[in-house]
Amino acid sequence: MKCGIYTCIIGMEYVLHIAILVGIYLILATGLNLIAGYAGLLSIAHAAFFGIGAYTAALMALNLHSPMVVNLACAVVLAGVTGAVVGGPSLRIRDDYFVVATFAFQVIVFNVLNNWVSFTGGPMGLPGIPQPSLFGWTISSHTAFLLLVGCCCVAVLWICQRIVHSPFGRVLKAIREDEVLAQCAGKNVAAYKVLVFMIGAAMAAVAGVLYAHYISFIDPTSFTVMESIFILSIVIIGGAGSPWGPVIGAVVLVTLPELLRFVGLPSAVAANVRQILYGAALVACMMWRPQGLLGQYTFQKGGSRQ
Amino acid sequence: MSQVLVNGIVASCTIALVALGFGLLYRIIRFFDFSYGIIYTLAAYTTFGLAHYLKAPLGLALVLGVAFASVLACSLELFIYRPLRGRNASASVMLLASLGVYIVLQNMISLCFGNDTKVLRSGSVNVGIGFCGARITEVQVALICATAILFIVLLALLNMTKIGKAMRAVAVDSDLAAISGVPVNGTILCTFVLASVLAGICAVLVSMDTDLTPLMGMRMFMYAAVAAIAGGIESPGGIAIGALLLGMAQHFGIWVIGSQWQDAIAFLILIGCLIIRPKRFVCRG
Repeated sequence: MKCGIYTCIIGMEYVLHIAILVGIYLILATGLNLIAGYAGLLSIAHAAFFGIGAYTAALMALNLHSPMVVNLACAVVLAGVTGAVVGGPSLRIRDDYFVVATFAFQVIVFNVLNNWVSFTGGPMGLPGIPQPSLFGWTISSHTAFLLLVGCCCVAVLWICQRIVHSPFGRVLKAIREDEVLAQCAGKNVAAYKVLVFMIGAAMAAVAGVLYAHYISFIDPTSFTVMESIFILSIVIIGGAGSPWGPVIGAVVLVTLPELLRFVGLPSAVAANVRQILYGAALVACMMWRPQGLLGQYTFQKGGSRQ
Repeated sequence: MSQVLVNGIVASCTIALVALGFGLLYRIIRFFDFSYGIIYTLAAYTTFGLAHYLKAPLGLALVLGVAFASVLACSLELFIYRPLRGRNASASVMLLASLGVYIVLQNMISLCFGNDTKVLRSGSVNVGIGFCGARITEVQVALICATAILFIVLLALLNMTKIGKAMRAVAVDSDLAAISGVPVNGTILCTFVLASVLAGICAVLVSMDTDLTPLMGMRMFMYAAVAAIAGGIESPGGIAIGALLLGMAQHFGIWVIGSQWQDAIAFLILIGCLIIRPKRFVCRG
């Protein structure tokens, strides 16, 4: 009897844990949806901004003992500025070269996190990140953390909605559909692209801060190219260019692989099977449903060959 | 110092082989085919599997490994890229599909062979031949010779044969080539085979010289992309020069600041190239 209650509590903790992860990926995917889905810029650097956010929060919490709100603000600003520095030059180049440029940035960030041992802890990572406290209230339980992540999700989704339905969002979609036309209409295309790239990067940093404080241990392996591709898959499979696409994508792609656990695969195998599944889903999506489950954008400029 | 030079040349040759294949493929299919990276890994692992588990002689294993990788590249083209092209899919769609293919195949290799480092070498570690105060192994000599030979063969093929002419025609304008009676799909298939052979030979030689990991292909693919973009993706000569620059920069970089920054050096060069010479990559179509 007692044993049953114990399993039930563990089970509850597990469900909450998955829900928190879904929330974090939802924030990441919403940020990338603005960049890739609305502005049509394929970026595989999202995990780099996620990592910048997480490491900023972790280093500040460990070295300066600053509260979470301050960490969050600093991480958002830092990721936004990095986004501008990276986006500025690389957004001038053509689509497929932009993918490679973001890839390059991703690898460089991973290299810095992995090799600058004295500052980032290198491959050993940063252990012992304290639990966050908001207005004197320490968030220690899973339930409280889920509440925090939930609030952040709602805020991010709300900001995304506001952006999409604003004139700014309409210009983004115009750039996505026909860049030359948007330019002819007198829009400063480059400035819009950099701005949306900054906003997306800042959202990734929010997710990074939450992740660092939640897991309380970070190492560079959480911020690899594969992670970037995973986030991109969430956006594409869920549906790029639709506000609810990343939500569905995050729920499906984060929870479904957890089912593999119940099939009884060893964890080393499960990690590979999970990646095979989402890789195959990505290919299948491109083959038969490029707009994803709910999306509106098929990564096809102006409906014809450019 | 001379050792650094030798290492740089060997690295340049490996990058050049893959980059030549990558450049050839890119000119024809016009998207960054990430699955090219896994073709490289697959050739190495097939050879390893045949030589290690089935005890096949190394030469036979090499031929079969390269052949298997080429067949796989062809089936990817037939079952994924050709239908997508038929639907006028954009470069982004093709790129995402190839990324998916890469993930699937890389994890299958991880499942079959494990994530740890594998060694194809038989017997003890070879110290190599002394050469102007540097050491170079037989495999590295073979690699340099193979690069030189394949480079000349490739140039001859592109400039002197009918299929080479067809490839160049498709690269310039595939619609016009089709109208003029060039079998476009067949030419593309040939390009996949040619590029896979280049990558496969390079992969097997590299894995004989050093070792194999499931991630080797992605890394080499990105180096190849960097070399091709730095040197000018349209010309084989430019790609060779780009590979030489990248290999040298990496090895002198390792010598000065340490091997862990090898990737960062490569990608800083890439970003530098993209920023400094953007006129070839700008958005106007």
